[in-house]
Amino acid sequence: MTIAIEAPAGAMIAGEQAQSRRSPLIAVKDVVKVYPTVAGDAVLALDHVNLDIESGEFVCLVGPSGCGKTTLLRLLAGLDTSDAGTSSLAGKALNGPSPEVGVVFQQANLLPWFTVMQNVLLPLSVGGARKSEQLITQIQALLRVAGLEGFENKYPYELSGGMQQRASIVRALARDPKLLLMDEPFGALDALTRERMNAELQRIWMASGKTVVLITHSIEEAIFLGDRIVVMSPRPGRIVRELKVDLPRPRVSTEMLGNPVHTALAREIRMLLE
Amino acid sequence: MTDIRTESNAMDLIASSSAAAKNRRRNERIRNIGIGFAGFLTLVLVWKLSVNYFNVPSYILPAPEQVVVALWSGLAVPVTSPLGWYLPLWSTMANALAGFLIGALLGLFFGSLMAEFRPVETALMPYAFALQSLPKVAIAPLIVIWCGFGDGSKVAMAALLAFFPMMVNSFAGMRAAEVERIELMKVLSASRLETYRLVKLPSAAPYIFAGLDMGIVYALLGTIVAEFLGAQEGMGVAITKAQAVTDVAGVFAALVVLGVTGILLHLIVRWVERSIVHWADRGKH
Ligand SMILES: Nc1ncnc2c1ncn2[C@@H]1O[C@H](COP(=O)(O)OP(=O)(O)OP(=O)(O)O)[C@@H](O)[C@H]1O
Ligand SMILES: [Mg+2]
Repeated sequence: MTIAIEAPAGAMIAGEQAQSRRSPLIAVKDVVKVYPTVAGDAVLALDHVNLDIESGEFVCLVGPSGCGKTTLLRLLAGLDTSDAGTSSLAGKALNGPSPEVGVVFQQANLLPWFTVMQNVLLPLSVGGARKSEQLITQIQALLRVAGLEGFENKYPYELSGGMQQRASIVRALARDPKLLLMDEPFGALDALTRERMNAELQRIWMASGKTVVLITHSIEEAIFLGDRIVVMSPRPGRIVRELKVDLPRPRVSTEMLGNPVHTALAREIRMLLE
Repeated sequence: MTDIRTESNAMDLIASSSAAAKNRRRNERIRNIGIGFAGFLTLVLVWKLSVNYFNVPSYILPAPEQVVVALWSGLAVPVTSPLGWYLPLWSTMANALAGFLIGALLGLFFGSLMAEFRPVETALMPYAFALQSLPKVAIAPLIVIWCGFGDGSKVAMAALLAFFPMMVNSFAGMRAAEVERIELMKVLSASRLETYRLVKLPSAAPYIFAGLDMGIVYALLGTIVAEFLGAQEGMGVAITKAQAVTDVAGVFAALVVLGVTGILLHLIVRWVERSIVHWADRGKH
């Protein structure tokens, strides 16, 4: 495990920034997560993970399957607790979910007894949320962007897998959350829809100043969307490198191809993952 | 031009495919009814032939046509006639339904409590198991002592019998709610009651309907048993009266009336279920 000893250059930069500015929105320090298994031997899913995320930043998390990306995201969402280390959100220790956070799960996870509209409005009808006209108009616009117009009154089983996933993204955005945690949100989509959704997500992010943490298996997607790409090692999950993406915004996917910065980044990530 | 043509063709295709599906369903239904009817006719024929062939006396097993006559004599009277099936059936149904409602609601309530609060589960589970394995009709005499020979004990018996399948099923259904859906509610900071109402209760709906389906038939059974133990009216009384004068055809006719009622109640529950739980068992993509 020489990789872990190697100083992550990106982390240093981010660390200095955090020092010079106010404290980061998310601070994860030396977090360890162990899963007990039925067989008895525990699985070390996260091994001393350190990660700071600034408010307004777009961070992409890449790593081989089973390396602990979802585990890390679940910790940030307040769905799980770490076995060692500390994690905080907006300066407060993370204990339990916060209503300011929107989560897109790896599976669409729509409620089958509700229509698409009822599903995407769910965040506004529970947890003491207020249902404002403005939010509802915004949701209708999002449904249009997600290509779900005309499907508002359909049930999830009447939708394709990709449509369900898009509906779940709209649901995660419904409360206009400050922090958006997305677990492979576009995994189920075809290449073109995926590009379109990436562009939309970039637009929404640029317009709203949200903080986004997005897990992806696609190097292209990570470079297109991220300010910073966090690369994790195979299990036990460690952060092996953080890479800044120095490409101007708004990024356009057709202009990315052949861009030397893009090519160099893609090659570096590929080598880290291999 | 070509575009429009393809589109209209596509629309035709949609229309014809849904029409074909409807046709297929109808044909299947007609076939099923046909099979059921043929089976029924065979049964009646075998019954008739064996009664004739073995010379069975009618106080042991009446011939089918005697049962039909008995059945008809109870149908072809004014609704308020004391000789008809209507009054006793109404009495039995009213008590069974009242008991069913009470039992089902209590079952849902306690099942929910047990699913929602571990201590309640720990406290109640042993009793639930013990009572579940007890043949509950054996409690009927006790209930008659407590509630008398009137409607009270009939309702109580129906409620008792409807309670258990509902409690067990709603408990199991709520525990079977998918973790991911509960986590979704957690992420949304939903309250416990919101999670119960919007996730756990709908998750349990298929189980709850299975419980209702059992419960409604059990409630009917409970009422009849209570009526056997010396009530004044109801189908159970009609049966004991017929039995007292060895009117076996009358007993059979009463059983037919009860059987048809049970099937109708079951069909009603299934129909309500299909319209409410339409999303169950539809493939996840
Ligand atoms: N609830 C659990 N119980 C036991 N082990 C678990 C549990 N959840 C995850 N793991 C283990 O922890 C490791 C990390 O899992 P995680 O889901 O975080 O991976 P991932 O990086 O999201 O993978 P993928 O890209 O395939 O979604 C895996 O090896 C998995 O076996
Ligand atoms: Mg995952």
